[in-house]
Amino acid sequence: MKHSFEVDGIDYELWLSPCPQGYLLRLGDEVVGPVAFSDCGSGSGLLSIANERRQVRFFIDGDTIHLHIGGRTRILRYRDPLRALACANDEPGHLMALAPMPGVVIATRVSPGQSVSAGTELIIIESMKLQTVIRSPKDAQVALIHFKEGESFERDAVLVTLSEEVR
Amino acid sequence: MVTLPFDTVLIANRGEIAVRIIKTLRRLGLRSAILYHDIDVRTLAVSMADTAVAIRGHTPLAAYLDIEQIIAAARTANAGAIHPGYGFLSENAEFARAVTQAGFAFIGPAPETIELMGDKIRARNFVRRHGFPVAPSAIEEDEPETFLRRARAIGAPLLVKPSAGGGGKGMQIVRELGCLQGAIAQARSEAQRYFGDDRLYAERYVERPRHIEVQVLGDSFGNVVHLFERECSVQRRFQKIIEETPSPALDERLRQQICETAAAIARAVNYRSAGTVEFILGQGEFYFLEMNTRLQVEHPVTEMTTGLDLVAEQIYAAAGRALRFSQADIIPKGHAIEARLYAEAPERGYAPTTGKIHVLEYPGGDGVRIDSGISRGQQITTTFDPMLAKIIVHSTTRMEAASKAERVLRELVLLGCETNADFLARILADETFLSRDIHAGYLEENPHVLSGGSDLSPFLAAAALLTKPVRDSANAVPELHASLGGWRN
Repeated sequence: MKHSFEVDGIDYELWLSPCPQGYLLRLGDEVVGPVAFSDCGSGSGLLSIANERRQVRFFIDGDTIHLHIGGRTRILRYRDPLRALACANDEPGHLMALAPMPGVVIATRVSPGQSVSAGTELIIIESMKLQTVIRSPKDAQVALIHFKEGESFERDAVLVTLSEEVR
Repeated sequence: MVTLPFDTVLIANRGEIAVRIIKTLRRLGLRSAILYHDIDVRTLAVSMADTAVAIRGHTPLAAYLDIEQIIAAARTANAGAIHPGYGFLSENAEFARAVTQAGFAFIGPAPETIELMGDKIRARNFVRRHGFPVAPSAIEEDEPETFLRRARAIGAPLLVKPSAGGGGKGMQIVRELGCLQGAIAQARSEAQRYFGDDRLYAERYVERPRHIEVQVLGDSFGNVVHLFERECSVQRRFQKIIEETPSPALDERLRQQICETAAAIARAVNYRSAGTVEFILGQGEFYFLEMNTRLQVEHPVTEMTTGLDLVAEQIYAAAGRALRFSQADIIPKGHAIEARLYAEAPERGYAPTTGKIHVLEYPGGDGVRIDSGISRGQQITTTFDPMLAKIIVHSTTRMEAASKAERVLRELVLLGCETNADFLARILADETFLSRDIHAGYLEENPHVLSGGSDLSPFLAAAALLTKPVRDSANAVPELHASLGGWRN
């Protein structure tokens, strides 16, 4: 079965297959390995990859894996196959405005139930002194505004949900 | 131990600079008091201070800018002096005056000095009047009808920008005087759009400008020394990210000239405490840019090469003590570099990042200093500046310092919030940076340092091996079947 990890907004499909020295990592058409990991406790471990050993520091927070390997830090998100499917089918006819970066809501320009046209200002957010206007991508109706003025949010948080009007 | 007219100092700041000030207070045998907004209650500075006083505000920022509450906090903590750190109220003359009038020592320059040097136009006029080099310029509102003629007299290349401006908005570079009129029209319409104010200002444009600043130190008796220069040319969005001393751009003659000019400017304003005179350097010429009447973020590089503690010197000056050394006593040694660790993603346009610090380990070693205000378990938010810590290193040569700083940035482990550590490490190993050919446009000219291009496979392998469902589905496959390779479920 294929699994998927997201790094910097890009999904990577992979799977492991057992081999005598551990596993082989199947990455698209590429086969990397053998790979093996030994946990040394306290969030550190040793990764062997193609007969090279690398020191690993890690922290696992739910589906998010923070890794420090070879002087670089990366955040990887495991895409649970079941949950990914649920998201894809999530409420047809609904549009969600996602936060491009973490920040705080400066002003809301619309209220639930209001009809908006493409380009209407929905909400103004601020992040490190940078203001961004979130606009409606198409003609729709405001279903829900998820944050009040002054409230802060994380990256990718749903700011506004729109429903496409049925005419 | 020294005897001072106060035994407790209130720090009207937060984060790494508050921690840094507390360290000096401890060393001098003084008590530290800190004020804090509720959002910072669990930070390192609050836990380290001897006394902590809570302040309120409709936003955390408003709390740290509330002069009345700060003075009340100083009374509560029985403080005799207030250190403003940098940012917040550090360059606010009204604050300095209120502190003094309430009977506390202000650890910084006199309010009149802040007033004079804090206003860009006023400071430039003052510096020009005293015969120091200022970039040739023309201010439209001095005489609007002759602005075009006066701008033309500056010669090309020149810069036309909104008087009300900042952050490079509405700025026009004119390389041929034939284009001047068009550039003025363009700048005027942008100035109106961005700032609602169409007044303009023109000045000589320095191609590939380098940002050189000089640390100065003065006492209440008119003694002023300089502590040599720092180069801060590596900037992103007009914000410094790597600073060093000595500047690789200066030869001995130019170094002496620029440092002595800075000391003379400080002497002309009767400067007390630590301050910085900033210059623009290009084609062997330098111009006064502005003066910062406070401790700078990048002051540690100067401390590394001179062996002085600038916060201690500020405290002595505020206590009315005379400088204990003269210019000839200050002999800088070696090369120091500072890199600013930010919670941001350089490859996504320096977008701020947030998270919770799960793992935090700083490497040590000879000539390595980390000024950090964060600790494990702390939530990183976008409420304040994105700076998490400063990595400062000291070595014999620039090459050695750069490679040491790169090593420290690679070895430090911070898990839970994305940072610019990898980006900083790439700059420190970049050929152009190492060749000393840096200027304010270095990052725009060298976009390759923005992208890592590092191999992801070790990360994907480790993540796969650490994720139970991935291991489980692999283990469910019979080995023979798996070795055929074409298996699908």
